[in-house]
Amino acid sequence: MLTLEGVTAGYGGGRVLQGIDLEIAAGTVTALLGRNGMGKTTLMKTVMGLLRPDAGRVLFDGRDLAGRKPYEIANSGIGYVPQGREIFPDFTVAENLLMGVLGKPANRRDIPGGIFDSFPILKERLDQKAGTMSGGQQQQLAIARALAGRPRLLLLDEPSEGIQPSIVHEIAAAMRAVAERDGLTVLVVEQNVEMVFDMARDCAFIENGRVAERTDVAALRRDDAPLHRYLSV
Amino acid sequence: MDQFLILALDASNFVLAIILVAMGLVIIFGLMNVINMAHGEFFLLGAYAVVMVDSAGGNFWLGLLLAPVFVGLVGLVLEEAVIRHVYHRFLDTILATWGLSIFIKQAVVLIFGPAAMTVGDPIDVTVEIAGAPYPVYRLFIMGVSLAVIAFTFWLFFRTRFGLTARGVIANRNMASCLGVNTRRLDRMTFAFGAALAGLAGAVMAPIMGIDPQMGMGFLVPAFLAILVGGAGLAGAMAGATVIGGADTVAANLWSPVVAQIVVFSMAIMAIRLFPRGIAGAWRKR
Ligand SMILES: Nc1ncnc2c1ncn2[C@@H]1O[C@H](COP(=O)(O)OP(=O)(O)OP(=O)(O)O)[C@@H](O)[C@H]1O
Ligand SMILES: [Mg+2]
Repeated sequence: MLTLEGVTAGYGGGRVLQGIDLEIAAGTVTALLGRNGMGKTTLMKTVMGLLRPDAGRVLFDGRDLAGRKPYEIANSGIGYVPQGREIFPDFTVAENLLMGVLGKPANRRDIPGGIFDSFPILKERLDQKAGTMSGGQQQQLAIARALAGRPRLLLLDEPSEGIQPSIVHEIAAAMRAVAERDGLTVLVVEQNVEMVFDMARDCAFIENGRVAERTDVAALRRDDAPLHRYLSV
Repeated sequence: MDQFLILALDASNFVLAIILVAMGLVIIFGLMNVINMAHGEFFLLGAYAVVMVDSAGGNFWLGLLLAPVFVGLVGLVLEEAVIRHVYHRFLDTILATWGLSIFIKQAVVLIFGPAAMTVGDPIDVTVEIAGAPYPVYRLFIMGVSLAVIAFTFWLFFRTRFGLTARGVIANRNMASCLGVNTRRLDRMTFAFGAALAGLAGAVMAPIMGIDPQMGMGFLVPAFLAILVGGAGLAGAMAGATVIGGADTVAANLWSPVVAQIVVFSMAIMAIRLFPRGIAGAWRKR
């Protein structure tokens, strides 16, 4: 579903990604792991069109995303939950969710009801200003906002960052349920190994701008050597 | 007291026109981070649009309707041809729009000549206010401006279009990643901001001399209004009231030169007292 071929990208001088090859199959939940500063966020920004790759190709459903604007990429079916959530703090929860659908074609501008089944807290807080909610609630809002746009592929960047462990489990469970129910494909960047075990099936480790190893969670449960090698655990 | 009432009415004409100009500036700046030095010329084009329709044999009211449409279209073309190529380079936007401002002014001089033109009072009726006749058209200016200001607030704070625009203002990249077509929004809001200035120029045309330099007389107070009030719609209104009110009162009591000095001194004082604008200081309380 998503294919990166030799993607090289960075900011000005330094090249953060140095030839990423990655294939995400439809219907899978893949975790992308790697130490701080290895370029996980850079990879997501490149897929979303926020950064232009210097070389290589990003293909979504076989179509090259080169030169596409972020809104075109989003509307082709990719949802994005950035690191740090980037909800609209001055907007209410309902308005934040609306922002997830207002750019869509006219027949998809309603908020799918299933979202509130996955994240019931949001339904109670529809009129609350998003900036006044807790970190965990804001994270759920950011995910729900992306899901409201009915993506086929969801990019999740460090959803557990700065969130209480109990909520992390809740979010992981909700995500897995959504992925199973809707057949959603997910690429999740995560440092929290428990969350990875909770929700992912496949794993990719990124180091020095390349994908260094691919395994799956079942294999990691048997042998966690890659975790020690590519993360500081 | 009666004189004061007349003065207040006159001041509110000027204030409302500045609000229309300043709101356009604020919308364009908020959305695209462009300081539009050519905004005064959108006002100018609005006034000349009325002159054009007038000299083509149409009446004033038709001109008033067509002016914002015409200026909005000019804005649309300029956004597409110039602004979008420079808007991520802040300084270049100032230079580019300044260049546009000179270009438009010169074009107007070439077509209409440098001399001031006038259009007659389209209503030409007076009512008695405080014992003296007062032109009804000036009351009409107030009505139209207030309606357009209310419409703008409604558009930006009560509609889905407005929510989208405010989302882009708050976080352009995130809005884009959610599927918001930021290009189309830029185009539409630039045209809308231009149309506001064009409407202000058209509605003010009958009560002032129309000449190629008139844009500056509204651009500068509009900028000062934003500096004083803060770069939001409410801030622009508060600032325009202070700046436009002080200008008219001082010009009436003393002279236009003194008014300039008073207004600039007030602006500097206000910036010292409320660095984030009156609206910003208000919100902080
Ligand atoms: N906007 C930017 N401009 C310049 N350099 C940047 C920018 N953003 C990130 N970098 C650099 O690019 C490298 C990769 O950053 P990136 O954010 O992609 O890493 P990451 O793997 O997501 O890290 P983390 O786990 O901390 O989120 C880092 O060295 C970082 O300093
Ligand atoms: Mg990151």
